Amino acid sequence: MASASARGSVRRLAGVYREYWRINVLTTLEYRENFILWSLFTLVYHGSAIAALWIVLARFPSMNGWSFRDMFFLYALWMAAHAVHNTFFSNVEGIPERIREGEFDRVLVRPIDPLFQIVTTPGQIFPDELILALATFIAATLYSGVRVDAAFVLFVPLVVIGGALIDLGINLMIATIAFWFVKVDALRWIVLQLEQEFTRYPVAIYSRSVRLLLTFVVPFAFMNYFPAAYFLHKTGATFSLPPQIGLLGPVIGLVFVAIAYAFWRFGLDRYQGVGH
Amino acid sequence: MIVARKRFRLEPYVEFAKRAIAREATYRFDVFTGLGSFVVRIYLLRMVWFALYAHNAAPAGLPLHTIITYSAVALLMGLVLDIDQTRALHDRLHDGSIATDFMKPISVPLYFFADGTGEVLFHAALVIPGLILALLFVHIDVPSFPVFAAFALSFVLGYFVGFFLNFMLNCTAFWTLEISAVQLIVTWLTDLLGGQIVPLILFPAFLGKVVYALPFAAMFSTPLLIYIGTIPPSRYLEVMTLQLFWIVVLGAISTVMWRAGARRVVVQGG
Repeated sequence: MASASARGSVRRLAGVYREYWRINVLTTLEYRENFILWSLFTLVYHGSAIAALWIVLARFPSMNGWSFRDMFFLYALWMAAHAVHNTFFSNVEGIPERIREGEFDRVLVRPIDPLFQIVTTPGQIFPDELILALATFIAATLYSGVRVDAAFVLFVPLVVIGGALIDLGINLMIATIAFWFVKVDALRWIVLQLEQEFTRYPVAIYSRSVRLLLTFVVPFAFMNYFPAAYFLHKTGATFSLPPQIGLLGPVIGLVFVAIAYAFWRFGLDRYQGVGH
Repeated sequence: MIVARKRFRLEPYVEFAKRAIAREATYRFDVFTGLGSFVVRIYLLRMVWFALYAHNAAPAGLPLHTIITYSAVALLMGLVLDIDQTRALHDRLHDGSIATDFMKPISVPLYFFADGTGEVLFHAALVIPGLILALLFVHIDVPSFPVFAAFALSFVLGYFVGFFLNFMLNCTAFWTLEISAVQLIVTWLTDLLGGQIVPLILFPAFLGKVVYALPFAAMFSTPLLIYIGTIPPSRYLEVMTLQLFWIVVLGAISTVMWRAGARRVVVQGG
C-alpha cells in the first residue's frame, strides 16, 4: 500500500520533471536570439579561460610539472562537472534571492517537496553548456594523451557526477545560510571564485591552509585536481595522499551533498519567513 | 520671438556626480564583496606566478617582482575600470524613463557622464584599502615620480576609452533591450585582450600583433606597461597618441549611436 503510493508519487514527480524540460525547450526556442547570445557567452567564458592558460603555458612550459596539455584536461574535467551542475541544478543558486523577495514562501504552501519545486522552476535552460563541455572534454582527452582504458571510461562519468554533486552541495549550503542571513552574496562570490578560478591550477601550488580548505572543507579539489592527477599519473598530489584518492570523487560528492541536504532540512524546519 | 540662448552651467552635473557617490555609498555590502574578491585574486596571482617562476626560466625583462607588480596594479585598476559607469543609460531605456530625461533642461549624455564619474570616484576610493590589503600579500614596486605621472595620465586616457566602450554597448539597448550577454562577453574579452590577466608582452607573436591593434590594449596594457617600464619615456608620446586616437574614434561612434538612438526613442511601455 505504502509502496504503491510511493510509486505513484515518484511517477507524478517524473511527470512534473518531463513537463519542466518541455517548457525549458519551448522557452529557449521562443527567445532564440537571446539563447544564441548566452551560448556565445558560455563559449567566450570558457574559451578565454583556456586561451589564458595556453598563452601563459606557451611561455612557462611547466606549472609544478603540469604542461598545457595536462592543464587543459584539468580544466575540461572541471568544466564537465560544472556544466552538469548548471544544466540540472542551476536554480539552486537563485534560492537566496527568492527568500529575500518572499517568493520562497509560496513554494512552502504547495504539496510538492520545496527543493524539487525549486529545481524544476522553468527558465531558459538548455543543455548547450553540457554539449560544449562534452566536446571540450573529448578534445582534451585526445590532446592530453591520457590512456583511455576501461577504468577511465568507467570512472570519468562517476567523477563528473561526483563533481556536479560537490557543486550542488556547496550551492545548497549557501542557500540554506540565506534562511538566517538574508544577504549571502559576498559569501557566494568568494566561494564561486574558489571554485572557478582556483580549480584552474594544480592545487599543489597553494599554501597549506588553502589546500586544506579545497580538500576537506569545500572539496573542489575532488572535482578535477585529484582525479586528473590520478588519470595523468602526476605524483606528489598533496598532503602525501595516495593517487587513488582521485577515484573517491563520487563518494565525496555523495557525502557532501548528503550533508548539505541535511543542513537544508534543518534550515527549512526553522525557517519563518523574512517578514513580507 | 527671441529665444534666449541656453547657457551651459556646470553645477547641475557636479550635483549629479555627488548624488551618484552618495548612492553608491549606500551599497556598502557590494563594497565588501568587491574587496573580498580582490583579496582572493591577489592571493591567487601570487601563488600562480610564484609557481610558474619557480619551475621555468624568467622571460627577458620580466622578473618575478615585475610581473607581481604588474598583476597587482592591474587588479587595482580593475576596481575602477571594471565599473560599467553608463549602466544607468541601459536601465533607463529598459524602464522607459529615458523619455522624461529628454524633457529635462540638461544634456542627457553629460548627465550619464557625470553620474558615471561619481560612481567611479566612489570606487576609486576603494583603491586605498585595496592597496593596503594587496601589500599584505605581495610587494609592489613603485616607479620614479615622472614615470608614475605618465602612468596616471595614461590611466585617465584608458578610463575614457573604457567609458566610450561602455557607452556604445549601453547605446545598443536603443535597438535591442537585452544586452547583458553581450556586455559579459565584452567584459571577458576586455580582461584577456586588454592585458589585465596576462601581460600582452607574453602573448605569442602573431596574437600580440592583433591585440595591440585593438582598443582594449589602450585601457589596461598601455598604462601598465608604462608603470613597469616596458614602455620607455621615448615612446610615451606615441602610445598616448594611440590612446587619444581610440578616444576620438570611439567617441565619434558613441556620438553617432547616441544621435541615432535618441531619434528613435520608443517608450517601452514603462
